Amino acid sequence: MTDFTPHTAPSHTRVHGAHGDFAIEAKGLVKRFKSGKSFVEVLKGVDFDARHGDLTMVMGPSGSGKSTLIAALSGLLRPEDGRVDALDVDDLWKLPNGKIDRFRLDHCGFIFQGFNLFPALTALQQVEIVLKFQGLAPGAAKKRATEALTEVGLAHRLHQRPAILSGGEKQRVAIARALAKDPKILFADEPTSALDGENGQIVIRLLRRAADEYGSAVICVTHDPRLEEWADRVIKIEDGVIISDERRTPNPNATLASHH
Amino acid sequence: MSLALSTLLFEWRRYMAAVMALALSGLLVLAMTGVFIGIGKGFTATIERSSADIIIMQPGAKSLMGGPSGVPRRFIPLAYRNPAVIEVQPLDGAGGTFQSVKNVDPTLSQAERAKMGAPRQEFVQASIIDTTPGAVTIPTDYSQELVDALRQPYTVAIDETAVTKLGVKLGDRALYNGQTVTVVGVTRGYPNMMQATVVMSRDTLRMVGQADTGPRVGPLMVKLRDPAQAVRVAAELNEQGDGQWKAWTRQELADANAGAMFEEGILVIIIGGCVVLGTIIGIAITWQTLRGAIMANIKEFASLRALGVGMGSLNRIVMELSFWVGCVGVIAAIVLTLGIQALALAGAVIISLPPILLIVVGGGLIIIAMLSGLLSLGILKNSQPADLLR
Repeated sequence: MTDFTPHTAPSHTRVHGAHGDFAIEAKGLVKRFKSGKSFVEVLKGVDFDARHGDLTMVMGPSGSGKSTLIAALSGLLRPEDGRVDALDVDDLWKLPNGKIDRFRLDHCGFIFQGFNLFPALTALQQVEIVLKFQGLAPGAAKKRATEALTEVGLAHRLHQRPAILSGGEKQRVAIARALAKDPKILFADEPTSALDGENGQIVIRLLRRAADEYGSAVICVTHDPRLEEWADRVIKIEDGVIISDERRTPNPNATLASHH
Repeated sequence: MSLALSTLLFEWRRYMAAVMALALSGLLVLAMTGVFIGIGKGFTATIERSSADIIIMQPGAKSLMGGPSGVPRRFIPLAYRNPAVIEVQPLDGAGGTFQSVKNVDPTLSQAERAKMGAPRQEFVQASIIDTTPGAVTIPTDYSQELVDALRQPYTVAIDETAVTKLGVKLGDRALYNGQTVTVVGVTRGYPNMMQATVVMSRDTLRMVGQADTGPRVGPLMVKLRDPAQAVRVAAELNEQGDGQWKAWTRQELADANAGAMFEEGILVIIIGGCVVLGTIIGIAITWQTLRGAIMANIKEFASLRALGVGMGSLNRIVMELSFWVGCVGVIAAIVLTLGIQALALAGAVIISLPPILLIVVGGGLIIIAMLSGLLSLGILKNSQPADLLR
C-alpha cells in the first residue's frame, strides 16, 4: 500500500514528486550584506522547505529578507552558510556555477515584478528563446511556446512586441516563458505588485494552476496579504527569521480586484 | 530570427552610432586607398583600356611602371609566331613640357608670360596610339573621329579634366617640348590627378623626336584573334619565350599596377595612418555603443540568467550582435564610399574600388566590430539576476 501521508516530512527532495513531496529544502541559510563598515545579516539561519503542488507564499515587510531567501534557494545568490537541497540535487551550492545555471535551466521558472521582456522580440519569441537554450529544436520550441501562451490566454497576442502589450499581458508572457519549460520549481517575486487587481487575479490564478495541474512547487514572494487566499501555505518572515509557517486551504474562487 | 538580429533591427537607432563609426572608418580607408589606386590608374588608363589582350614585358617587371618593362625589338616577330596573335605593337611614350601659347607670344620669357597671366608651363606625360584602323594601342572607347584627327601630324588630344590646367581648348595651339602642336581632341574619362596626359600618334611622337627607334622598345601590346583565349595564349607565349620575357594578360597587369602603388613608402604611411585611426575610432565608438545597448537590456539579460541561460550563451548573443553591427557597418561604408566615388568623379578624381579592397576593408570592419563586442562582454557581468529580486 502506498503511504498517503506526504505531509509528514519525507526524507528527501525529488524531481518528480507527488503532490506534497519535498521539492526544495534549505537548512540554516545565512546571508550577510556589507553595509558601510559593518555587515547586515539578512538571513539568520533560515530553515525552509517547499513541496510539489503547493503554492507557498513567503510574506514579510520590505527588507525582511524574503527576496534574498528565494535568491539563495534558486542558486542566484550564494549564502554564507547553510545548504539547499533541491529536487535531485544534494547541496545546490556545492555545484560549480555552470551546473547551477543548468539546474535552473532544466527545472526552475522565474517571474519578476518587472516583466523583463526583450523589447525586440514578439511574445512567441520571448518564450521560444528560452526553450531553444534548453536545447529544443526550433519547431518543437515554437509549438511548446504557442501552447504556453495559449494557456495564459495570449493566443491572439503571439506576434505582438512588449511595447503594445498591457502590463497584465506582459506578465502573462513572462509567466508563459517560465511555465513553457515545465519547471518543477517556480519562483515568483512580487508577481502582482505592478498590476491592477484584475490582472493580478489572472496572474495568481495561473500560479495556482501551475501548482495544481503540473505539481510545481510554486514559491511566491509578496507583501500583498490578499494573495493569501490562494495559498496552500503562508510563511511569514521578518528580519531574516521565519516567524510563522501556516498551512491553509486555498480558495480558488477568491477575488482580487482593487475596485471591489 | 535570432535575438541579436531582432534586437539590432528593432532598436536600430541605438546602434546607429556604432554603424556610422564603422562606416566612416571604412570610408576613410576605402576612399584614401581608392584615391591612390585611382591616381595609379590615371597613368595606365590608356593601356588598360586598349584592345591589347596580352602585354609582354621583361621577366623581372613587377608592373608597368615598376622594373624593366621594355624589351628588345626582335621580340616583336617572335611574338607573331603564336598563331593566335594578330597584332603586336610596342608601347611608347615620353614626357615633356607643355605650354599653352594662346594669345601669348611664345618667344616671351616665362616671367613675362606669367606677368600677362598666361597659363604656366606644365610637365605632361605623352602616350601614343597607332592610327591604323583597329590598332591594338587604341583605347576601345576612342571614337573614329578622334583617331582620324590624331592621324594628322603634330596633333594631340587631352582629357577634359586637363583643359583648365593646361590652359588650352579644342583647336588651340601649344608648345610640346618647344614644338608647336594642335589640340584636336578632348577625351572624357581619362583624368590624371598628378600629371596631365597628352595623347598623340606614334608618328607625331617620332616627329617630335621622342619615339623609340633603336633596338629596344617598350612593352609589347598583343592583340589576339579571340580575346577569350588570353590566359591560355599568355601561358603559351611564356613557354615560347623560354624565360626571355613574361606575358601578362591585361587584367593581371592592371591588378599588378594597382598593387604597385603600395610599394611607395609615403602611401603606405598615409594609408597605414588611416587604418590605425579608423580602427581606433571604430573600436572606441562601437565598444561604447555596444556597452550602452547591453546596459539598456541588462534586466532582460539578467532574467535569462535567472531562467538558467549561462554566461557563455549571453556572451555569444553579444558577439553575434557585434557581428551583425559589423555587417551593417560594412554595407553602410560601401554605400557611403560609392556616394563619395560618384561625387569625386564629378570633380575628375578617380576613386578606384577593386573588389579585393572592399573585401579586405569589409573584413577589417567586421573584426573591429567583433573586437568591440569582446571589449563589451565585461558589462554583461552586471546582469545579476539577484538584482531583479527586490
